[in-house]
Amino acid sequence: MVNRQILMADDDADDRFLVQAAFEDNGIPNPVVFFEDGEQLVNYLTDTDNDISPLLILLDLNMPKRDGREVLQMLRGNLVWNAIPIIIFSTSNAPDDVNAAYQLGANCYIIKPSSYEGLKEAVMNIQRFWLHTATLPV
Amino acid sequence: MRLIRSITEQKLSWFIRFLLGTSLLLIIGLSYSYHTINKELVYFSEKVNRTQKVITALKETSSGLYEVTFLTNSYLFLKDTTYINKSLAALDRLPSIVRNLDTLASDNASQKKRIDTLEDELKKFYKQYAILLRPGSYKTDPAGFNTAYKTTTRDVVTIRKLLSEITGTENKLLTNQEQSRDNYSRQIFRYNWIIMLVAIIFLSSAFILLDRELSRNKLYRVELENKIENLNRSNSELEQFAYVASHDMQEPLRKIRSFADRIIIKYRNEISEDVYQMLTRIDSSSQRMQSLINDLLAFSRTVNAGSKPKKVNLSNLLADAKANLSEMIQEYKAVIHSEVLPVVEVYPSQIVQLFQNLLSNSIKYRKQEQRPVIRLTHRVVEGDIIPNVTPAHRDIQFHKIKIMDNGIGFRKEFADKIFVIFQRLHDRNKFEGTGIGLAICKRVVSNHNGYIFAESTEGEGASFSIYLPAESLLQ
Repeated sequence: MVNRQILMADDDADDRFLVQAAFEDNGIPNPVVFFEDGEQLVNYLTDTDNDISPLLILLDLNMPKRDGREVLQMLRGNLVWNAIPIIIFSTSNAPDDVNAAYQLGANCYIIKPSSYEGLKEAVMNIQRFWLHTATLPV
Repeated sequence: MRLIRSITEQKLSWFIRFLLGTSLLLIIGLSYSYHTINKELVYFSEKVNRTQKVITALKETSSGLYEVTFLTNSYLFLKDTTYINKSLAALDRLPSIVRNLDTLASDNASQKKRIDTLEDELKKFYKQYAILLRPGSYKTDPAGFNTAYKTTTRDVVTIRKLLSEITGTENKLLTNQEQSRDNYSRQIFRYNWIIMLVAIIFLSSAFILLDRELSRNKLYRVELENKIENLNRSNSELEQFAYVASHDMQEPLRKIRSFADRIIIKYRNEISEDVYQMLTRIDSSSQRMQSLINDLLAFSRTVNAGSKPKKVNLSNLLADAKANLSEMIQEYKAVIHSEVLPVVEVYPSQIVQLFQNLLSNSIKYRKQEQRPVIRLTHRVVEGDIIPNVTPAHRDIQFHKIKIMDNGIGFRKEFADKIFVIFQRLHDRNKFEGTGIGLAICKRVVSNHNGYIFAESTEGEGASFSIYLPAESLLQ
């Protein structure tokens, strides 16, 4: 069985690098595709040549062009993609941001850990729950 | 600036009072004089009136007398007896006129005397006339008639003289009285003007002063509104700053930590011990800076109460604080005894934070060989026993909650210093922390219009006294 893709949109190159490292260090076999903003992610999804059904989407909230909230709203309003689990991955711990994300249909909200060790643990928990424990839509 | 302003305001206020007082006195005085003069005026007007009546009565007497003599002479000359009755009738009218004169002039002794003489003369006159007017008396008793006629002629002359004397006096009186009356009415006119002038001067100066005050007040209000606006703006800028501090400043730190961390994890076996140590230091320094920023934020958030005040039992809030510290309490087997705490109107989350900071402080600075024991007591005290209490708080009651521990304590001279933000009494290696906990406590207590003091002798435990107003002063 082919491992389904995990998509991540984050405008911060360091964070993309660190998340990738954390996925690698945890030995997660699924390929992670990174985007620099929400628009790139949406373009990738709408591009019919790709023909993918991603397993998970990790989304930063504050990004240029299309931010996380817009992408979230757009995906949840779309019949094809509204079932994909979306994890918000943001530095913001403001209650307004957290509440808004869940109201817009996010499945999970993770505040970016302040150390690599923390990040590695968070990615491991994502793996445990979303990849091993939960049954995701096909 | 404010001091100067308040002094001039006070002066102005006194000046206005003075102005009002003197104006009132002046108006009262003038009104009293006006009243007196008016009374005099009325008095003299009455006098004039009366004198005029006297003069009229005198004229009536005179003309009555003339009528009688004329009618009598007509009778004597024409021998027509019809004149007798007419003459008698005219004679009859005289007494009432003279009586009237008598009552009118009753207030003037010399005139009264003259009028009395007049009456006497008239009485004699009547007697003689009775003889004259007896029909045919000039025939039956010519000698008596002649004597009577002569006497009456003399009497009439006397009476006329008397009348003209009385009239002359009355006329003089009248002139005097009219002079006085005119004099007083002129005075009344003057007083009217003076009162009006004083009232106008006072009212217009009061108006000018009040108008000036009002426009000055308006100026202050505008100034105040501007200040409030500036304050609001700087507050929101501060909030903005807090957000920037929390987000943007934390970002690079997070990266520094994460990369240092990652290097350690990934290349642990390839790097020398020296490099490893340095990387660990980078990590711990960044970590410390992160907690400093977080604490600073926590402190700045305590400024904005945010939530609404609620009446709650402080025992419940203490229980919440204990629950939040349950791990620490278990780890060090801390014992916390508390008396029943009161119900007070507070910002609950802030008070939980207060208890939590004080309890964790006591546990943190415990004695190595002893299990930490913390005791809380409560009692109601009067405001004036609180050191350096605000004058406005002197007369109100406070809940005093004392938290005592058996920890290492601190030296007396640090009792105030420990509440200063980022102030630490110990080496960081001995006790970790940023030194924000007690600064937050102080902030929380002052948010509640309360007071907090620390007391200790080094090595003998510390005690913290919190004073919260028994009647809420929170809005």
